[in-house]
Amino acid sequence: MSRNEGMDRRQLLRLAGLSAAGVGLTAAGCGSGGGSNGAVTIRHAWWGADDRAKKVQECVRLFEKKHPKIKVKTDFQQYADFWKKFNTQAAGGNPPDVIQNAVTFLRKYEAKNVLLDLNPQAKKGNLQLDGFRSGLEKFAEIDGKLLGVPVGSNSMALVIDEKVYEKAGIDHSLGWTWDDWYAGLRKIKSVSHMAGDSGPHGIMYLYDLILRQNGKAFFTKDGMGFGEAELLPYWTESLARVKAGIYADQKKVEQIKPASALAKGISAGEFTWDNFSVRYSAEGKSSYGLAPIPSTDGKKTGQYLGSLMLSGTARTKHPAEVATFISFMTHDPAVARIMGYDRGVPATTAQFEAFQPADAPSKAIGAYETEIADAGVLEPITPHPAGADVVEAAFLRIGSDMSLGKSSPQDSVKQFFSEAKTALASN
Amino acid sequence: MTHIQTSASGPALKSDPAAAEWNGPGRKNRAAPQPRGHRENLTGYLFMSPWIAGFLFLIAGPMVFSLYLAFTDYNLFDAPRWVGLQNFTDMFADPRWRQSVKVTSWYVLIGTPIKLAAALAVAMLLAQKRWGQSFYRAAFYAPSLIGASVSAAIVWRALFSDGAVVDRGQQLFGIDAGGWIGDPEMIIYALVGLTVWQFGAPMVIFLAGLKQVPKELYEAAEMDGAGSWRRFWSITLPMISPVLFFNVLLETIHSFQIFASAYIVSNGTCGPGDATLVYTCYLYDQGFANSRMGFASAMAWLLLVAVGLVTAVLFWSQKRWVHYEEDGR
Repeated sequence: MSRNEGMDRRQLLRLAGLSAAGVGLTAAGCGSGGGSNGAVTIRHAWWGADDRAKKVQECVRLFEKKHPKIKVKTDFQQYADFWKKFNTQAAGGNPPDVIQNAVTFLRKYEAKNVLLDLNPQAKKGNLQLDGFRSGLEKFAEIDGKLLGVPVGSNSMALVIDEKVYEKAGIDHSLGWTWDDWYAGLRKIKSVSHMAGDSGPHGIMYLYDLILRQNGKAFFTKDGMGFGEAELLPYWTESLARVKAGIYADQKKVEQIKPASALAKGISAGEFTWDNFSVRYSAEGKSSYGLAPIPSTDGKKTGQYLGSLMLSGTARTKHPAEVATFISFMTHDPAVARIMGYDRGVPATTAQFEAFQPADAPSKAIGAYETEIADAGVLEPITPHPAGADVVEAAFLRIGSDMSLGKSSPQDSVKQFFSEAKTALASN
Repeated sequence: MTHIQTSASGPALKSDPAAAEWNGPGRKNRAAPQPRGHRENLTGYLFMSPWIAGFLFLIAGPMVFSLYLAFTDYNLFDAPRWVGLQNFTDMFADPRWRQSVKVTSWYVLIGTPIKLAAALAVAMLLAQKRWGQSFYRAAFYAPSLIGASVSAAIVWRALFSDGAVVDRGQQLFGIDAGGWIGDPEMIIYALVGLTVWQFGAPMVIFLAGLKQVPKELYEAAEMDGAGSWRRFWSITLPMISPVLFFNVLLETIHSFQIFASAYIVSNGTCGPGDATLVYTCYLYDQGFANSRMGFASAMAWLLLVAVGLVTAVLFWSQKRWVHYEEDGR
């Protein structure tokens, strides 16, 4: 035995060989795709709360049962974290095969060749494209490429505390104007001594509707569809309404997050997507209903059907399996019975008919979407340029800071346009 | 083995002082020095190779790349575009960046001294011989063990939210202020509270320092009629000043890098109202949410320079307040 307990050449080589083998095994373990039994594994990622996760996982189990040759690995996060993770994965060339997607991100990832064109898969018969409800047939087409398939539709609405609105005697039927709405808020203030709204100044999708009612839009294909002259009076007025107690105390609104001000009884109404109304009933103690979006002229609400969609990613090695999975999630009636209105009213007729809601909030959502479709107020969605997601986050944050009194409406407007310019240029 | 025998009388014998001092385990006093052979070095490097590879590929490589990115416009997807000093000029013109510097500076200047004061105070209590001393030491150190974890920040968030324990406690005293987490003026104090609560590591170091102070000094001071406050200022503090310096240095650098607690306590918003927008939080947001990796890299390098400068200032200042026994200062 040597004094220093060193190694001879053979031992060294053996150690080096073992290390290399170890690295090789680890690398092999990291790879995904083909399984030993001929099954193909795809990865599906989405954002949402635990409840959605349970439902999606149940759908995945059903899919795997019907398609034993395809395994689906699942992954989910909160909305903001989801996109941070996806950005990193996509930039590293390892995005999930199927993702939940939204219109805000379409052009951004199309410009970077991240999304899979599903048209060839539709032609091969792996993806069924018929049977979509009216207005949802050509949802995610950009430059002839099919970049996503809608799983559900939703539209902006005003969720109201029905008891408070009733007590104040407010008529909120379709065709009401912003003046009617504001008069209603003043009534609520005098009758119930509470704020009539949680404060809509940071909600990009609502402000988009207001702009559309006035012949503009939040975005054009390449950039911003409005200027400082439009936003300044809107935010100035909002701040005055916060100070007057017509809109809720914004400090309180922040404090109770992630709970909503409406459900906590801090305000009597809140603008949001219609399918979000389900959560208010779960969180709050009152009864909550949906009121239409007020308009400038009593007719044009500027509304459109927004939607969550499923997209494939271009780096996938299994486009056929990706298409099969998306087709299943959007068409199989059993999926609708599991998901309900969690991601909006189902996008296909087969799924729409398969799920008959029994709970009052879901019934109200179905009735609301039927009402606005029958009224003929729905229009096509305006395009969102690359970087729209960052602009939306900035609008929400800066609007919120302004309402908290952290900066003046003038400075806030300047700050917003400065950040929007940077976001649109760098994405 | 053969290589040992051949190297025992090799030419490195006289020219390698390190080899002359080390003779293998348990052979300290052996007179004949043994040189290290070429193969022995190779073995050493082989054992070090995982670390060397890790350093090169995971630390040095990315650092060099990020230095390059700091001078580019890089959105993670398209090739980096050289923009020179643009990221740095954009930074100084950006009010959110200025806010992040303000929040971080405040956090470092307020949080670090309070944490160290708490650590020293508890260390002094625990240095005295009391019944159950070991239990108390473990109990006070425990938060810093779990404190670094995400779970502690989640618990903190739950404690300081609207309607939670702290809020209800306040209400008992008639203060109906709501939770600290959603309050732009209070959330930073919740964050400082979390950092102070994790004083275990500096406390243990203080404890070790306090043990080194000769008891005779206290006895002599007591004989001279010095009170406890006087003894603390004139004996304890000067005697533990090297340990204090070490803790100040470590905790300051640590505070500059705060991220996880701010991110989690604010639920990933670094708000409300950018109240917890610490430097790394803004850096992360710019890099991964806004896809401005060039800007984020520039921010990271500026942080490195700033921490380097603060460290240099601390080293410079130690001449005035740190006393080392050996050189009589």
